[in-house]
Amino acid sequence: MRPSPRSLLAAVTAAAALTTSACAGTAQQTGAAAYKLTSTTPAAAGDIDSFTWSLYGEPTSIDYAYSFDFPPNQILANVCESLLRWNPDLTTSPSLATSYSNPTPTTWVYQIRPGVHFHDGTVLSADDVVASLRRNLDPAVAGDWAYPFRNVQSIDKTGAMQVTVTLKTPDSTFNQYMAASPGTVESAATLAKDGKDYGNPADGVNCTGPFAFSSWTSGQSLVLKRFDDYWDPQLKAKAGQVKFVFLSDPTTRVNAFRTGEVDGGWMVPAGAYDQLRDTPAGTLYFGQNTTVADEVVNNLKGPLGDARVRQALLMAIDRKGIVKAGAAGVGEVADSLVTANNWNGAPPSTAADAAKALPAYPYDPAKAKALAAQAGVSGQKVVIATSPLDSQTTIITQAVAQAATAIGLKPEIDTVSADKYTALFTDPAARQGVDLFLTFWYTSITDPLDMYGSLQTGAFSNYGNWSDPKFDAAVDQAVGAYDPAAHAAATEAAQQIAMTQLPWLPLYTEPVSVFLGKRITGVQPSIAYLYYPWAAQIGAKG
Amino acid sequence: MSASTLSRSALSRTAIAAARRLLGMAVTLLVTSFLVFSSLYLAPGDPASFLVRGRSPGPQELAAIRQQYGFDDPFPLRYWHWLDGVLHGDFGRSYLFHQSVGEVLWSRLPATLLLIGVSALMIAVVGVGAGIVGALRRGTRTGSAVLLLVTVGAAVPSFVAAIVLRSVLGVNLGWFPTIGNGTGVLDRLHHVVLPAIALSVTFMALVTRVTSAAMLDEMRREHVEVALSRGLPRRTVIRRHVLRNALGPIVTVGGLLVSGMLVSTAIVETAFGMSGIGSLLIQSVDELDFQVVQAIVLLVVAAFVVVNALVDLVHPLIDPRVRAAGGAR
Repeated sequence: MRPSPRSLLAAVTAAAALTTSACAGTAQQTGAAAYKLTSTTPAAAGDIDSFTWSLYGEPTSIDYAYSFDFPPNQILANVCESLLRWNPDLTTSPSLATSYSNPTPTTWVYQIRPGVHFHDGTVLSADDVVASLRRNLDPAVAGDWAYPFRNVQSIDKTGAMQVTVTLKTPDSTFNQYMAASPGTVESAATLAKDGKDYGNPADGVNCTGPFAFSSWTSGQSLVLKRFDDYWDPQLKAKAGQVKFVFLSDPTTRVNAFRTGEVDGGWMVPAGAYDQLRDTPAGTLYFGQNTTVADEVVNNLKGPLGDARVRQALLMAIDRKGIVKAGAAGVGEVADSLVTANNWNGAPPSTAADAAKALPAYPYDPAKAKALAAQAGVSGQKVVIATSPLDSQTTIITQAVAQAATAIGLKPEIDTVSADKYTALFTDPAARQGVDLFLTFWYTSITDPLDMYGSLQTGAFSNYGNWSDPKFDAAVDQAVGAYDPAAHAAATEAAQQIAMTQLPWLPLYTEPVSVFLGKRITGVQPSIAYLYYPWAAQIGAKG
Repeated sequence: MSASTLSRSALSRTAIAAARRLLGMAVTLLVTSFLVFSSLYLAPGDPASFLVRGRSPGPQELAAIRQQYGFDDPFPLRYWHWLDGVLHGDFGRSYLFHQSVGEVLWSRLPATLLLIGVSALMIAVVGVGAGIVGALRRGTRTGSAVLLLVTVGAAVPSFVAAIVLRSVLGVNLGWFPTIGNGTGVLDRLHHVVLPAIALSVTFMALVTRVTSAAMLDEMRREHVEVALSRGLPRRTVIRRHVLRNALGPIVTVGGLLVSGMLVSTAIVETAFGMSGIGSLLIQSVDELDFQVVQAIVLLVVAAFVVVNALVDLVHPLIDPRVRAAGGAR
């Protein structure tokens, strides 16, 4: 799924105030490991009354239909639940649906879990599921998750505790999205009662998760309290209360970690990795991610219209240098537009084959220059849009400009305000005259199709209007293929085309970062924190 | 002419002046409201495209949104609807927060008002105090010290002050909290001290400079010199003649500074993780949340207009010469 423009900025800002740190070492690929991934932190020794968590921004709503960004999703993941659950190891498992089946290629049948209580004490029924899922189809709601529902024909109650989703065409990703925000189940009565106010600071939400919405002081903090009637004993909250505070300034956030005013937070500014790695105030962890930093090719009518030039440009970008200087060494050069994690659902051999068969673009300015010369674009101008968000963005932009020069192009850096930069992702007028811009792209399901689907002809985030009939056909085939091997094979074919044609240039992948203060432990570091009730596992440190 | 008719005509003159003043304020606000409303709709960026947040909506979906928010109504009609709402205390609904603008503002206003209040107090006490000391001790070591502090203070932008205060007194010494608004009276005050210093440091320096200049001006006047030469106590002369007459420009400058603060709180609020009107304005502008931007801009203009009116009202009270001139007009 494409992240909202804010998320893109957020991801960029997350690594704000980056410095070329001397002792960060180099990325794993080059030998000496500068960081290690942790799947779980020491288990909590016991319950804790309360802990405080920082967010880089305030959610605008915690309505799941508009939760398409880091701040609302990491809160909502603990309050509302979906039919399925996206686990920290990036697998899916049953949640509010005890089981699901796929009797025909165009039907998905969900068996709803009995005995689940909403936070107001009412009991979950199939009607709640129908009302919740249908909101995603309602033009008046205009939710952020219309894309996963694009192939949906109807959503109906087909038994006391059974809901059937009928598709227009087979869609193998639909069920996967039921583990993320699109599969969220809210009380139908609350939806009807709150109407447009649903999910706002005054009304909050009424769901089934391990924490219940307690209060939201606009601009300041949002408080959740433990839900005592929670159905899953495994994920019963260890903390009596979680207080989320909104701190947009990265330095303010890091200071709050150091003084202990805040107990933890996701997305630690990369510039503070060294400060927070070994501090009496707490511990910094890294976990699995599905995010790739990419340079989007926005204009295929200019010199970058020739695939050879795009290949040459990628070959001329010093991506190892970017990781070292821009991400404090915490990251790896990307070999495709998705991470290896995205292939978790594919048969292992297929995933390995897919990785092996990919065209490689090792750093080679001389070869790149020769390749670009064949295309005869020497001396032509390319405009690289950027924003003074933080030094990471600046470092990447400089590296790309340097690469463009190296292959004979004339780069021009167009620095726009953060607000205008956001507009690049939504407004075609704002993208006019821009050849390249940077994005951090994550996927909400463990499937490469989440990324490649957004590069199909006419897709909203296919900014450069890139079009390749073979690619489109391969994606369609993959979406329609339920058999894991066939699904992976078609996806691999699509990936192969994308990586040869390079509608976007993949730069590097970086892990999820999380800081835990000295009072708390228990969280499982992973990008799944956007949909998994991670806060429930946090308790007192022994 | 009897005494009663005189006072009656004086009264009616005052009433007319007050009415004229009020009318002027109303016209200013009305013109501002129009400018604010129209300029925001002329600004690039389509609120409907913001509302769909990066998706490619179907025509039906887009039409539903446009209709829901009245984007298709002709401009004068939209303005009229908005103005009508504002006059009834309804500033519309925030696109961003799915809440009425009133509720959004109300949740942010107290923090900013406290911040400005404490800053104003600091400016008045420290700024005016230092100004008086600077003027009276001119040429001495104390006077030079004040002059130096003023020069340094005026040159420190609030974001620099915020960074220094936060890292020294907050993070390193741990005397003050570095984030949040706090709860309860004492805790709130504890939270607001550093942001208030950061916000007011430049303004304090300005007021100190204005105070010193005004005092020196007055001290050079003939009546002051005469009074002093006649052997009236210096303290009395300074208080009754110099300070009182110098208050005019001080109040004028102070009033402008304080009303101007409403827009300059953003940086300080962000640096200290406070939630107030300033940070809300930045966010609303970034996210094209027109209704909130309109309300805040109108609020700021209203604050300017009201503070100016107050300054004008206070002037005759502190300066008899203004009162006399007003009566003769």
